[in-house]
Amino acid sequence: MITLSLNNLISRFIFLVALLLFVSGGFGAAQADPITLHARLVLGTCKDDKSKTEVSDKIRKRLAKVFKWMKYYELRSRRLGIDDGATKTVKLSKTAKIEVSNRKNGRIGVSLFSGGKMLVQKSQLLKPGSCMVLAGESGTDSAWFIVLSKDK
Amino acid sequence: MNENETELKVQALVDGELTGREAEDLRARIETDDGLRELHARLIAVRGLMAGAELPRTLPESGDFHWSKIAQSIEREDREAKRLARPAPSANWLLRWVLPFAGIACLMLLLTLQQTTKLNLSISLASDHELELSIDDLDVMTFNTEDDAMSVVWLDYSIDLQQDELDLWLD
Repeated sequence: MITLSLNNLISRFIFLVALLLFVSGGFGAAQADPITLHARLVLGTCKDDKSKTEVSDKIRKRLAKVFKWMKYYELRSRRLGIDDGATKTVKLSKTAKIEVSNRKNGRIGVSLFSGGKMLVQKSQLLKPGSCMVLAGESGTDSAWFIVLSKDK
Repeated sequence: MNENETELKVQALVDGELTGREAEDLRARIETDDGLRELHARLIAVRGLMAGAELPRTLPESGDFHWSKIAQSIEREDREAKRLARPAPSANWLLRWVLPFAGIACLMLLLTLQQTTKLNLSISLASDHELELSIDDLDVMTFNTEDDAMSVVWLDYSIDLQQDELDLWLD
C-alpha cells in the first residue's frame, strides 16, 4: 500500500515536471516567434488627391486628432515579419531609410537614417492595436508619416 | 438752632411746607417771641401782596404732551437716518440677485476661455520610451496620446515624397 502510494507520488511528480517543461518550452518558443509589423508610409496634406488612397479610418482619426492636416493618403504599405533580435531596413527615399528591430519582450526599436547617418532612434513596447509614428514635414503644407503598428 | 434757620422755618411755615408737630412748636414759639411774630406777620403780608400781583401763566400744552413731541421728533430723525443708511430696495435687489449671477457668469466665461485656449489633444509625455538623438541640430518632439494608443516622434526633417522615390520602399 505504501509502495503504491510512493509510486503514485513519483509518477505525479514526473508528470508535473514534464508539464512544466512543456509549458516553459512553449512559452520560450512563443517568445522567439517573429513579430509582424504593419508599416505604412502616409502623406498628410490639406489637398484632395483622388489618385491616392486614403488611410483607414482608424489611422486617420488618430492622426487627425493630433495633426493639422485633413487628408492622409497611404502611399505605401507593407507587413514586416521580424525575428526576435533581428532588424529590417526600409528605404524611404534615395537618402533616407529606417531600421526596425525586434527587441526582447515585445519592444521594438526604430532608427531613422539620412545619408547613411543615424538621426534618431526610438525604442518602445508596442502593444497590439497601438501604433508608433515617426513624422516630419514634407515640402510645403504637407507631412510624411511612418506608421508602425503591431498586428493583433 | 441759629437765627437764620429759625427765619427759614418761619418762611416755610408761611409757605405751608411745615406740618404736624414741627409746625405747632414753631407757632408756639412765634406766640412767645416778638421778633418771630413780626417776621411771620411781615411774610404773610408779602405773600398776600405777591399772590395778588402775579399773573397766571398757563402752558398751551401739557408738559407730557411737550415731551412726547420731542420724543417723536427724535424717533423720526432716527428712522430717517436708518433709511438713508440702508440701500434702496432696487439696489438691495441688485446685491442679492444680479451680483451672484454676474459672479457665476464671470466664472463660466473664465472656464470657457481656459478651455478654448487650452485645446485637449489627449497628449501625454512618453514615459517608458527611449529616444536617442545622434544629431544635436535636429529638433525632435515626442509624445504619446492620452490613451497610449499612439506614440509620435516629430522630426524637423523633411523627406520629399516623390513618386519615383517611392519605388525604393522595399527591403
